[in-house]
Amino acid sequence: MAKWGMVIDLDKCTGCQACTTACGMENDTLPGENWQDVLFYTEGEYPSGRMKWLPRPCMQCEDPSCVHVCPTRATYKDHDAGGIVFIDWDKCIGCKYCMIACPYGVRFFADEAPLVEPDLKEIFPGSGGRLWDPPGQSPDQNRKRGIGVQPKGVVSKCTFCYHRVSQAPEGVPDLDEDDPDLVEYVPACVRTCPPKARYFGDLDNADSNVNKLIANKKGVRLKDHTGNRPQVYYLGAGAGIPAFKPKS
Amino acid sequence: MSADTIDRRNTGLMTGLLVVGAAIAVVTFAIVAFALISQGHAAFNMDANVAWGLPIATYVYFALMSSGLTLIAALAMVFGFKQYYPLIKRAIWLAIITLVAGLAVLAMELGHTFRMLWALPLNLQIESAMFWMGVFYLLDLIFMAWKFQMMERGDWTSRLSRQVGIASFIAVLLAAGTLALIFGMMSMRPFWFDPTLPVWFYATAALSGVAALVFFTYLSYGMDRSGMPEGLRMDLEGPLPKLFLALAGITLVLFLSRMTTGLYANAPEVNVVWSDYLLASGWFHFAVWGGILLPFVLLLGRGMRNAPGVQMLAAILVLIGMFIERLYFVVGGQVVPLFKGTWERGLVEYAPSSTEWVLTVMGIALVFALYGLGERLFNLSDSPMAAAGEEAAGGQEAATSS
Amino acid sequence: MKAILEKMLNRRRFLQATGATGAVAGVAGMGKLAGFTAAAGSAGVTSTASAATFADARMTKNICHQCPARCGINVYTHNGRVTSIYGDPGNPIANGKLCPKGHLGTYFLYDPDRFKGPMRRTNPQKGRNEDPGWEPISWDEAYDEVAKRINELRENGEAHKIAHFYGRGWGPSDAGLYGAFGQLVGTPNSAIGHASMCAEGSKRAKAATDGNNSYNSYDYRNTNYLLIFGAGFLEAFRPYNYLMQVWGHMRTKSPRTQVTAIDVRMNPTMAAADRYLMVKPGTDGALALAIAHVMLTEGLWDREFVGDFGDGRNRFRTGRTVSRHLFNEKWTRGLVEWWNAELKDRTPEWAEGISGIPAADIVRTAREFGTTRPAMAIFERGPTAHTNGVYNGMAIHALNALSGAMFAEGGLFYQMGPSYGSGPANADDYMDDIAREMAGKHPRIDMAGTERWPFAGTMMQETAKNHNAGDPYKLKMAMFYTTNPIWTAPDAPEWEKMMSEIFVVDTSPFPGETAKFADLILPESTYLERLQDSPTYPFEGYPMTALRVPAVEPLYDTTEFGNMMIEIGKRINGSTGDYYRQIDSVENLLRHLARGFADDPGDNGVDSFESWVEKGVWYKKPYHWKQHRGVFLEWDGQGYTREMSEEEVGEKLLRTQSGKFEFKSSHLEEKADYITQHLAVERDRVGFPQWVAPEHTGGNRDLYFVTPKTPMTAEGRSGNIPHAIALQQPSVGGNDRTYVEIHPSTARDRGIRDGDRVRITSDLGSIEGYVRYVPQHRPDTIVLPYEHGHWAQGRWAEAQERSVAPGNPNEMTANVSDPISGLAAYYTGKVDVERV
Repeated sequence: MAKWGMVIDLDKCTGCQACTTACGMENDTLPGENWQDVLFYTEGEYPSGRMKWLPRPCMQCEDPSCVHVCPTRATYKDHDAGGIVFIDWDKCIGCKYCMIACPYGVRFFADEAPLVEPDLKEIFPGSGGRLWDPPGQSPDQNRKRGIGVQPKGVVSKCTFCYHRVSQAPEGVPDLDEDDPDLVEYVPACVRTCPPKARYFGDLDNADSNVNKLIANKKGVRLKDHTGNRPQVYYLGAGAGIPAFKPKS
Repeated sequence: MSADTIDRRNTGLMTGLLVVGAAIAVVTFAIVAFALISQGHAAFNMDANVAWGLPIATYVYFALMSSGLTLIAALAMVFGFKQYYPLIKRAIWLAIITLVAGLAVLAMELGHTFRMLWALPLNLQIESAMFWMGVFYLLDLIFMAWKFQMMERGDWTSRLSRQVGIASFIAVLLAAGTLALIFGMMSMRPFWFDPTLPVWFYATAALSGVAALVFFTYLSYGMDRSGMPEGLRMDLEGPLPKLFLALAGITLVLFLSRMTTGLYANAPEVNVVWSDYLLASGWFHFAVWGGILLPFVLLLGRGMRNAPGVQMLAAILVLIGMFIERLYFVVGGQVVPLFKGTWERGLVEYAPSSTEWVLTVMGIALVFALYGLGERLFNLSDSPMAAAGEEAAGGQEAATSS
Repeated sequence: MKAILEKMLNRRRFLQATGATGAVAGVAGMGKLAGFTAAAGSAGVTSTASAATFADARMTKNICHQCPARCGINVYTHNGRVTSIYGDPGNPIANGKLCPKGHLGTYFLYDPDRFKGPMRRTNPQKGRNEDPGWEPISWDEAYDEVAKRINELRENGEAHKIAHFYGRGWGPSDAGLYGAFGQLVGTPNSAIGHASMCAEGSKRAKAATDGNNSYNSYDYRNTNYLLIFGAGFLEAFRPYNYLMQVWGHMRTKSPRTQVTAIDVRMNPTMAAADRYLMVKPGTDGALALAIAHVMLTEGLWDREFVGDFGDGRNRFRTGRTVSRHLFNEKWTRGLVEWWNAELKDRTPEWAEGISGIPAADIVRTAREFGTTRPAMAIFERGPTAHTNGVYNGMAIHALNALSGAMFAEGGLFYQMGPSYGSGPANADDYMDDIAREMAGKHPRIDMAGTERWPFAGTMMQETAKNHNAGDPYKLKMAMFYTTNPIWTAPDAPEWEKMMSEIFVVDTSPFPGETAKFADLILPESTYLERLQDSPTYPFEGYPMTALRVPAVEPLYDTTEFGNMMIEIGKRINGSTGDYYRQIDSVENLLRHLARGFADDPGDNGVDSFESWVEKGVWYKKPYHWKQHRGVFLEWDGQGYTREMSEEEVGEKLLRTQSGKFEFKSSHLEEKADYITQHLAVERDRVGFPQWVAPEHTGGNRDLYFVTPKTPMTAEGRSGNIPHAIALQQPSVGGNDRTYVEIHPSTARDRGIRDGDRVRITSDLGSIEGYVRYVPQHRPDTIVLPYEHGHWAQGRWAEAQERSVAPGNPNEMTANVSDPISGLAAYYTGKVDVERV
């Protein structure tokens, strides 16, 4: 089985958030429940101020701290499914310990006060135990892997669009959206990325494009000191985040 | 033995506590349940930034109070300080009910409480501190209930009773310790990340435990020590306030060490929490200087220390102060936004919702109600000395002189 | 297939009874769409899962409606519901990609606030707080009412008092119907477009210099240097999606395209560029002139396009004039005169004083731009939405002549139209007496093209003012399509007065400020339910036209705007009705147009209406002309082999009077008197790209106020899309409202803290908003992204936090326009800010 990895080239990324909305529509997340997000940071002052941004999917860590803390094994890393970290919505007790333990802030408990009011959850109320029924709900649902619209009271997160990725032909080194035979299996954020700043492929395959990009363009993992060892690599300048400074 | 001591306690007050406490607990439970059913967890103000808020802080507050009470009881149960025997039945009862109250609050906070009942044992995630905390608090509760039942039967010192006492002591050390490590092992949350966090939890647990014991004992006797059984009265005139003082002192020292380290640290996840969140809050200052330092000072002089009013004041200050401290501790680990960019430009703002406050009131009401119930059903001032009658008096005298 | 479409066009009213927002399920009839939906499985998708999966999708072709880019989209449906939207890999703009807005199209379709069918106002009072008292009516009643009013006005000789207003016109099947309507009904006001409130300034700057009154097509793929003046390249410039695609290419190709961005505020384009120059608002022209100055003094102009001194010795010296006869111009006209009259003194040091950009940075930029080939300078609304807009634009566009980028590989050129067949009827054959009498009798209500605005093609922002003053006359009736000037026009409240007095028809699918003042609502279908064509905006030059194919039957009782026009037309008395009976329907019109493809099949094989529906786009590469090292070549079907004569170049490409790129504009000189009267420019200088100081309203107020578009700004609708709101202003964390961005020193001087509520005040009034400190901005410029502040756009837009603070900046924007282009000078008003 492949070990799916993502490469994000910050020299190409334009910070547009297409990845975020594509993800949101593919996975029916609520406003602010950004399984995929782009984080902006600003530093310095006119006329030499800086602005940078950093797309942030789930890092699908090789040693995921969220998995270790989950008291019910609801969140798990599936090496037989590309090394993706999933949440079993039938086991999750909603203790949110994984949200505490994730260094990358990629987990959500959408059963909360809405970011944008009026609350979509009330306008499109959920049936069948779902938190809400989005009007354009995607067909794929798999509670064991946290795919689809989540039930109430559980944590949700990026699945690398496993419902698509899992259908890809066995053994492909990369899922490239420009390949008409593969486009439907590519994670939504990668598929739509206009500047093609994202790449998706098999980290266990030394010939994969993602491995070549990591090698040639000196890919780094964010917050490597946490030891979580993400399966998401960043290329280009600015792969890091400034230390927190309270607003003045 | 006990008939006269029971009679001399304020049964009217206890019945009142039971009735009013139970009524408030039921009403607050109904309010929270209705809010959860109608709004879901949107009734709480927690979000992706502050995942744990007031309900978790309330749980930690009660759970550690419970652990502290057991630790104090262990002085007699485990370490053979016999002069503490008149305190331990009340302490164990309080430990049971505060833990129950804490768990009740936690149960309302979780996304799927009942799922926990099967998902925890069936999946045995031994890597998770939360799993072990559950195991140890469960054992703690079982041993305490067992011990209490033995004491109720008058079995204070049999081999089995002692063993159950030791077991509950070990369980509580492990439970409070793993509760500490739930926070302390989170290297990605540097404000909490601390291998010695269990020490801080033990100390503050014991401090809040002794405060709860003082508070509820005086509540039972209407501030009148003359109505207390001899052994209990003597405890409150000597060993207990001294222990109270010592624990306040230890907590103060540990706090100053934590604060100094926190302020000195370069990491903003630690430093900024101390400078811009904890020490920027009047409530937190009240919790520390009013809730630890002031009780310590009040209890420093022997005369003041033994005055019931001073003890009660110190106890109330500690109980309020520790509650605030728990809230700021739990939230403090989360206020520096983690990987949020400009979505969170400053410290994360979190204020508990009214539902969260009602839930906390539910926990408090539950404690008062169950305490009233305990006083109505059991003789919480019972002790092996009381059972042994005159014989024990000598021992108590010896104790008071120590 | 025809039957299917007919059925869709002839639809019943859905869901009138329910009104429930969640009740959009179970829309019938999807199975019937199978005929023209290519299953996603065509790529070999099979699913092993027994449950529903993405692979079961039906897919239809459409065009995104959320900005002018016209990206082709694949719309995926399951059981009659749209579940996802991705870019169409077969569409040359989208290439399988989308911008952040595109994916959210589903929420336009399922917007719970949509109008459910035609409605008539019952409350005669109009106002922001008046409930219109909508009463559902049938389409026949609605059409009859509109037609009755038109017939009456025609018969009373008041046909000119009927006006159409439109914003985003897509093609012949919607806005393209206006011309014939005006001609046959007899009104000069069919239609008044929104271009003068959009980006008209760049078109005029190009008309003045290279003779093309048009936006440009660009060859970004092959350029090696981009100088971007206020175009929001990575936020809002069209086609945004493609610009980002090509950005990824430019920034990683060999050699890497260098980018210098010029803007008035920190934004993603500035941040991602190699160098950014944060210019004082309205002074881009000074910067461009200084760059030109350096290019000339340092001999960095493209000699093959521009020409050279006869002896090859550069005589351009700062401050010194040059004799015209020494320089032999090739494809340009007036370089030396321009130098002598304007450029010789436009030094970097001079420009530093005007623009605030250090001279050294200007010199560095000029040297890079001048020494890199291909290099082009692009600009849009930023530099042109000022009173000096056309001159700013001309100065910038002149750089493209100096660098030889005009029509060159890696440069910029213009757009070819699609090979459409002719329509079902010619309006000229259907003019009745009224139509003939009214032709040319009255000026347009906005006075565009008259002596008042001689260069302007449209002046929508003048309409309400003119109506209210009764000059040239008062309108009686107006129909609005994809435009909302009552909210978007400068000095927007003028429109409330006008629209209270006249009969207003709104055609938006959604509630809005126009609808609030409307007498009749004829709700259009959302774009995912429409059949509509769309020739491309200027893109890469080669002809292209895409098609919207309904992905689902309309959820409610709605139809295409084009059908409304046709149905109303059929009810006009006389031969007008006959014309529209010939047109028949949008579908019939499109079928006629598509006949042109039979003789000229697209690169993707589209040769008929049916194949157009299937592929969603017809296009035919390449662009037919190319300037290579000073030689203009024409495509002969195989290659660019045929050298063009000067006459051909003048006729087809450089369409100025001289047939050259004019540094001395004959277009402007023709109306020199007008320019000297309205701008402080001497008569003999009007033709030169030159520095004219912008005029600012606001008196002594000292802050510039700009209202940019962010990537989430979706043609004015993202204020009611929760997912868009949550991403509206990421640079400062605006995810529930938009915030006023202010430099902290400016704020602190006024006692304003981060997060405070402030009042922004102009000559016209004030709005409020909440502050976010942005130390990266100019201290003299405050920024409020344009989107919120709506008072009648739906439940999310009208929520307190998005409708009160921020308020609508257009309410306090003075109605001032560039006298030449007519472009509303949105960014010219100065304001002050105070804590509330």
